[in-house]
Amino acid sequence: MSEHQRIAVLGGVYANAEALAAVLADVRRRDADAIFCLGDLGGFGPHPDRVFPLLRDHGVRVLRGNYDEAVATAAADCNCGYSDPRDNHYARLSFAYTVTHTSATNRAWLATLPGHERVRLGPHRVLMCHGSPRRINEFLWESTTPDGLLRRLLAEHAADVLLCTHTGLKWRRVLDGGAAHAVNVGAVGRPENDGTPRVWYALLTAHPDLDVQFVSVGYDHEVTARAIEDEGLPPEFAETLRSGWWTTCLENLPSRERARGRF
Amino acid sequence: MFAVPMHDAQTPRAPFIALSALWLVLTGTLCNLRCTHCLNESGPDEPWLAPLDAATARRAIADAERLGVREIYVTGGEPFLHREILPLLEAALTVGATTVLTNGTVMTDALADALAALARGSRYSLEIRVSLDAADAEANDRVRGPGTWRRAVRTIQALDARGLLPIVTASDIADGFGAYDRFRTLLAELGVAKPRVKILPVFPVGRAGSAAAVRLSQADVDGFDLATLPCAEMRAVAADGVYACPILAGLPEARLSDGDLAAALRPAALYHAACVTCHRTGATCRNA
Repeated sequence: MSEHQRIAVLGGVYANAEALAAVLADVRRRDADAIFCLGDLGGFGPHPDRVFPLLRDHGVRVLRGNYDEAVATAAADCNCGYSDPRDNHYARLSFAYTVTHTSATNRAWLATLPGHERVRLGPHRVLMCHGSPRRINEFLWESTTPDGLLRRLLAEHAADVLLCTHTGLKWRRVLDGGAAHAVNVGAVGRPENDGTPRVWYALLTAHPDLDVQFVSVGYDHEVTARAIEDEGLPPEFAETLRSGWWTTCLENLPSRERARGRF
Repeated sequence: MFAVPMHDAQTPRAPFIALSALWLVLTGTLCNLRCTHCLNESGPDEPWLAPLDAATARRAIADAERLGVREIYVTGGEPFLHREILPLLEAALTVGATTVLTNGTVMTDALADALAALARGSRYSLEIRVSLDAADAEANDRVRGPGTWRRAVRTIQALDARGLLPIVTASDIADGFGAYDRFRTLLAELGVAKPRVKILPVFPVGRAGSAAAVRLSQADVDGFDLATLPCAEMRAVAADGVYACPILAGLPEARLSDGDLAAALRPAALYHAACVTCHRTGATCRNA
């Protein structure tokens, strides 16, 4: 198990190489001694192969997301769990494009990614996963993840800190007077439904009390938005990057989180 | 209720994985409506499955919290007929996200105000699922009774106006293919800016049941991951015991314990025709 004092943790790249490059440049200025990505390298965005060299060049330790798992195996769908035909329509277009445009080499690499990562951050035992420790595609939204569940997941995995992504929305929970923590690091490939195009990652520092800082990063979202259009992907995906409001795949949002968005 | 054969050693069983969802069959089968396809034959007569008393419901919520439950669902019957619904929702919302399944016909402005206040005061989401069976009044009322569409629509608007973003939930009984679009169109016409629609299959149970319905065999589930079935991660507490599935609550063959939630965390026999529907359609009774 590796030991660290400060780590940067990001998730939900969604084939947004422009955003990933800006985030990694930002991380480099912040003295992180390791960078972790909690998965979902593809989806929504254009040219999925472009994110792989960025991750490798920066030594990012990558976990497998549900999208990566599905792309690696060329599965029937992305295993996002939608039932609304409109969401499934967009999910199918996105997934078919991503599978087609991810090289065999990169798909083979996705298949090798671990589902979990454990590290020491100062005195803290950190468990990282994509959705939840028990299911790769479980959505841990802030408003539907109770303290009791987090305590149970942490106890079952002998961890003090749980890090996840998958929802695209960041949040943090401090449990039991600071003895335990849960952090959803948000997404770097998609804005967080707040009306701005900025994207987010998390910086965690052992002081030894755990310090969690969410960092927002601006990038040239117009480049990615135009590439989405040029590739014939749904214009709604480009609109989300420009406006900062989610336009598709809203079905899984709980009411609290859905209420914050425009659609 | 149609008689169903008892399960035996050959009956496939869903493993128990975790208590992700606690269902409270709060009003048993007490309801103000008598829908033609009702899963548990609820109605305004003396209920064949009694309502939960508040103490039992509170104990179930507390037990579920200790077991690390993720979310709580409240159903019936019509749960808003329960006298203790608001304090029980308040208790549930201290534990986790809570969803109420309602027919939307007994909502008042005062009740909607109280729900909005509960939602604002909780760190977890309060979700209200309002049942409709067709986007047009005539088709809906054939299933649910005269005037039910108009009252349910008024409830949807009242909840939406208070920021509660109700989920319109329909059985795929009258609208068939294209139901999502029809409900989305209806919600747009009602001025609902953030439409939420859930379509469930019709289950062969209750008033839509059939004595001739098929059952799952071991051969049917060979190669299928039974841990993906909803009943692998939920338990339903009713007045007479704990069940793996809310729509089978009250059926003696489905009962897993007499009331002890922890004792019901064991594999569940997939013995009912409704189990075929879940297996075949991949339906989830969760919100999403």
